[in-house]
Amino acid sequence: MKNFTYFRPTSPEQAVGLLEARWGNTELLAGGTDLLDLQKEYIAQPSRIVSLAGVAQLNNVSIGDRAITLGAGMTIAAVAAHASVRQHAAALAQAAAEVGAPQIRNMGTLGGNLCQRNRCWYFRDEHTNCLLKGGPRCNALDGENKYHAVFTAGHRCVIVHPSTLAPALIALGASADVQAPNGRRTVELAKFFRAPTGPAEREHTLAANELVLSVTIPIAGTRSASYEVRHKQAYDWPLVQAAVAFQGGQNGAKATGVRIVLGHVAPTPYIAEAAQRALDNRAITEASATAAGRAAAEGAKPLSQNGYKLRLIEVAVKRALLLASGAKPYWEV
Amino acid sequence: MPWPQTRRIIGTKVQRLDGPDKATGRAKYSFDINRPGMLHARMLRCPHAHARVKSIDVSQAEKAPGVRAVHTIVKPDAELYWAGAEIAAVAADTEEHAEDALRAIRVDYQELPHLVKESEALTAKRRTVSGNAMTNVEAAGDFATANFDQQAYQGAAATVEGTYGVPIISHQCLESHGLVAEWNQDATELTVWASTQAVPNTANQLAQYFKLPATRVKCITHYMGGGFGSKFGPDIQGTVAAELARKARAPVKLMLDRAEEVTCGGQRPSAFGTVKVAGDNQGRLQAFEVDCYGSPGIGGAATVNFNLLPYVYSAPNVKRKHSRLRMNVQTARAMRAPGHPQNCLLTEQALDDLAARLNVNPLDMRLRNLPANDPNAVDNAPTSFLALRNTIYTREIDIIKKMCNWEQRWHAPGKGGGVVKTGLGVALHTWGGGGRGPNPTKVTISADGSVLAQSSSQDLGTAQRTVTAIIVAEVLGLQPRDITVQLGDSVHGPSTPSGGSTTCPGTSPAILKAAEAARSAFLAEIAPRLNAQAGDLTIEPGVIVNRTNNQRTPWRQACARLGMNPVQATGDWPPPGQLNAMTPAGAALRREWQQTLTNQGVGGIQVAEVKVDTETGVVRCTHVWAVQDCGMIINKQGCESQVAGGVIMGVNYALFEECIYDRATGRMVNPDMEFYKLGGIQDMPQIHVHMMDMPERGVIGIGEPPTISTAAAIANAIHNALGVRVPQAPYTPEHVLAALANRR
Ligand SMILES: Cc1cc2nc3c(=O)[nH]c(=O)nc-3n(C[C@H](O)[C@H](O)[C@H](O)COP(=O)(O)OP(=O)(O)OC[C@H]3O[C@@H](n4cnc5c(N)ncnc54)[C@H](O)[C@@H]3O)c2cc1C
Repeated sequence: MKNFTYFRPTSPEQAVGLLEARWGNTELLAGGTDLLDLQKEYIAQPSRIVSLAGVAQLNNVSIGDRAITLGAGMTIAAVAAHASVRQHAAALAQAAAEVGAPQIRNMGTLGGNLCQRNRCWYFRDEHTNCLLKGGPRCNALDGENKYHAVFTAGHRCVIVHPSTLAPALIALGASADVQAPNGRRTVELAKFFRAPTGPAEREHTLAANELVLSVTIPIAGTRSASYEVRHKQAYDWPLVQAAVAFQGGQNGAKATGVRIVLGHVAPTPYIAEAAQRALDNRAITEASATAAGRAAAEGAKPLSQNGYKLRLIEVAVKRALLLASGAKPYWEV
Repeated sequence: MPWPQTRRIIGTKVQRLDGPDKATGRAKYSFDINRPGMLHARMLRCPHAHARVKSIDVSQAEKAPGVRAVHTIVKPDAELYWAGAEIAAVAADTEEHAEDALRAIRVDYQELPHLVKESEALTAKRRTVSGNAMTNVEAAGDFATANFDQQAYQGAAATVEGTYGVPIISHQCLESHGLVAEWNQDATELTVWASTQAVPNTANQLAQYFKLPATRVKCITHYMGGGFGSKFGPDIQGTVAAELARKARAPVKLMLDRAEEVTCGGQRPSAFGTVKVAGDNQGRLQAFEVDCYGSPGIGGAATVNFNLLPYVYSAPNVKRKHSRLRMNVQTARAMRAPGHPQNCLLTEQALDDLAARLNVNPLDMRLRNLPANDPNAVDNAPTSFLALRNTIYTREIDIIKKMCNWEQRWHAPGKGGGVVKTGLGVALHTWGGGGRGPNPTKVTISADGSVLAQSSSQDLGTAQRTVTAIIVAEVLGLQPRDITVQLGDSVHGPSTPSGGSTTCPGTSPAILKAAEAARSAFLAEIAPRLNAQAGDLTIEPGVIVNRTNNQRTPWRQACARLGMNPVQATGDWPPPGQLNAMTPAGAALRREWQQTLTNQGVGGIQVAEVKVDTETGVVRCTHVWAVQDCGMIINKQGCESQVAGGVIMGVNYALFEECIYDRATGRMVNPDMEFYKLGGIQDMPQIHVHMMDMPERGVIGIGEPPTISTAAAIANAIHNALGVRVPQAPYTPEHVLAALANRR
């Protein structure tokens, strides 16, 4: 691990003041579950680490009538256990409860989860010079790609975005408050992520000297759910995740404002617009949920080894919709 | 029978004596050893799957912060055949400094072509591994019974052909390979704390390497965290750590990190085979024909032990073709029942496919193809496995049928309802597992009543301490917890490596003889002080009894009569040299050793239940029933937990594990525990174990057999659930969905 200098500021303004405007030399440290790993593998080699442990403000949580605001320093375990999150943002609580293992959930933070790096095995191999590390091409395109993206059109790097909280938050219409060097701004999470194409970019749109202060989720009587298709039950990444949210939709009533967001299918959380359209203003039934699932996979261009994910998209969307509508999970026996 | 006729403790359930130490962290593994002034070493490895080293420059590394010694392993011009081959090593004050220093070593490589995929190595027209062959494919044995082509398939009621495969997997020892090495002041004596399943071997090999008298090298392995066949000596990291320690004049720790453990710590060869089987309408096998290959990596080891096919069952007409595909990945090492799980998969799946075609119940299918008992096979011994195998398997099939409620649970393939389909599958296995010495064991009885048992043999997780204590306690009328056991230190003399399920059968007779010798010596010593003849004294639980006057002296009081001098006795078995003597005495010894004290050969059966989500392809294994023969059981709890551990490994083999290599770079892409998948507790089935205790056969090993048939039973359960064969392990969602899509 490259040696570094450790800073422990107490305010967000101080923290961003210690960061450089370009990626590479400085790095924020929250729970460290991702960053330390990357440092030990020589993928991240910052010479300055800015710890967020002393920034008390990042632990604030406020519950209003119209919105829940969660500090970026909140642990994933705390998000999963929070009564208001469970009541008003079921998809987020479910996704958080399924992250990794208890150790990861107890150390990993909400902010770190949104800003974590991708898990592509070429990116994380010190000896493979992939596109994101300045190499000539993405190794996964014609390499080992069973866990990679299936919505690949227009992408030169075919990672999947790792966060499973992000699809839930996007489905719930959440936004992030961001501290920039010259003030604060608010970004919709639907616009927070991007597909990186080289070493100068991350999986999100923050500048290298910005940080996430908090995430705000509107309270709008939304029913929501997250469903992961996982190979293993013990800690594992999903093969495909679907997070859904809508108003109404209970007991045969029509669902409106339907949001369907997929995880682990594209370099960013993927908003399945065709599926949203297919379902809007319709009752949630097994038939309509199945149709939405089919629509969700539309436009995918899988790689050589991950065509199976298309089927998983259909199923994950269907099951997430049925879960959110309160139906009994027919697949649990 | 040389074992005690009535047994108080042997064969009962005894908790692992060192369980609390392991659970609380009091037990110190080699990885936990930290010596004063100790340095940390790391190794530089070749990043390319095949390359020639043009030059190596370690001068910058030598000057790097914290570095105390650098050792170069290969010379310029060396040709390296896999990504992971060792180049150089560095010892520094911290692990981080050592890692940084590795990156200061400059190596120039000329990259050469490599092959890391079986499908490519099979057809490639060039050789990318060592040797003189034209390609990486080596014929590894063809065999056919007489007139196979003329008669094998004639008049068969059904013939089925299938192709089955299982990839290379890794040992994934939880405690990685490695050791701590420490020299004395003038570098004439070496002590290592090594994670090894061969304690004296490790010391001896290091003595040879450093040209030291064997007595000057000591190996200590008090606890070890998994070897599975991959840890039989110091390995390259052992000699390198000792080199660095000598150079730096300080103790050095060199343990592999996780990525190294997975890419360099050992692999189980892949196996792929096209199997054609034919049978009569009762399911009796008429022909078994197989064309198979697998990869031992760069090594030349056998992959599928072809002469075992068909596995367990007998067929009148057999034809085998086997080739070995060498590839640019680490070499295979023995892994828990080498060759058997692959053979079991190739045979049992084919048998099940034939059963399905013939509409024969899988259990009946097995019964009809069991090999006959062969009473003359091993010295005409009625207790040999070959003399009993048909009887044993038949009994086991009967037991498991009731245990798992087969009649109720089983349905014809694909006939279960619902989105999540349940299936039941079965498979059989066999293993050798006999042991022999030298395993001298010393038992000491002291005046305070304490008893010490010592041997250099190691406990690689099998509860060998508890086994030792049980036998000594049985003979001395004590309880296992009354016995202090010291293992895993080469100063205690020779012992055999723990491989092939031989430790318990190899050491138990020696422990028994030692305990009996100690008992005799003890009684002889105290008899005069109890005013008795030694021959009149006998031991009952906790007391010494004088048979002539029924005088009863509690154990501690009797020991107190020993005074200053403890009683010591050593036992070993078989006595060195005499076993092979072609004399009546030699034959009698052989019989005692191989047929009553210990024995060789076991059979077992497992049934798995799975639930397959047909929409997602996710398989969950919900139950495994295991019936296992293992001769005389020493510790029933230890045996059951060995079976449970074997099953857990088998579930992982079936559902999760795979070393994935990148075609272009030749590097393994999942050398971790993230995408190299290992199930956690939630992924494991309920495991139901039935041990068949056959004390008349003597002690036989248990470590390997119970992991063999789990994967095949699961493969067959999936087939039973779906009505389609998922040919390629691991049985992941993508493989299951592909098989389901093929049917549509
Ligand atoms: C075995 C395993 C399984 C996992 N499974 C899942 C899963 O199923 N779903 C899932 O979503 N995740 C999963 N994760 C990832 C895990 O959730 C993340 O590692 C964790 O959330 C990161 O949070 P952290 O606080 O530890 O971040 P750190 O490691 O401290 O930081 C990660 C990155 O985020 C940046 N960062 C941290 N905080 C902020 C902030 N406030 N503003 C801006 N940038 C910031 C850091 O600079 C760094 O680049 C898994 C991880 C592991 C190791």
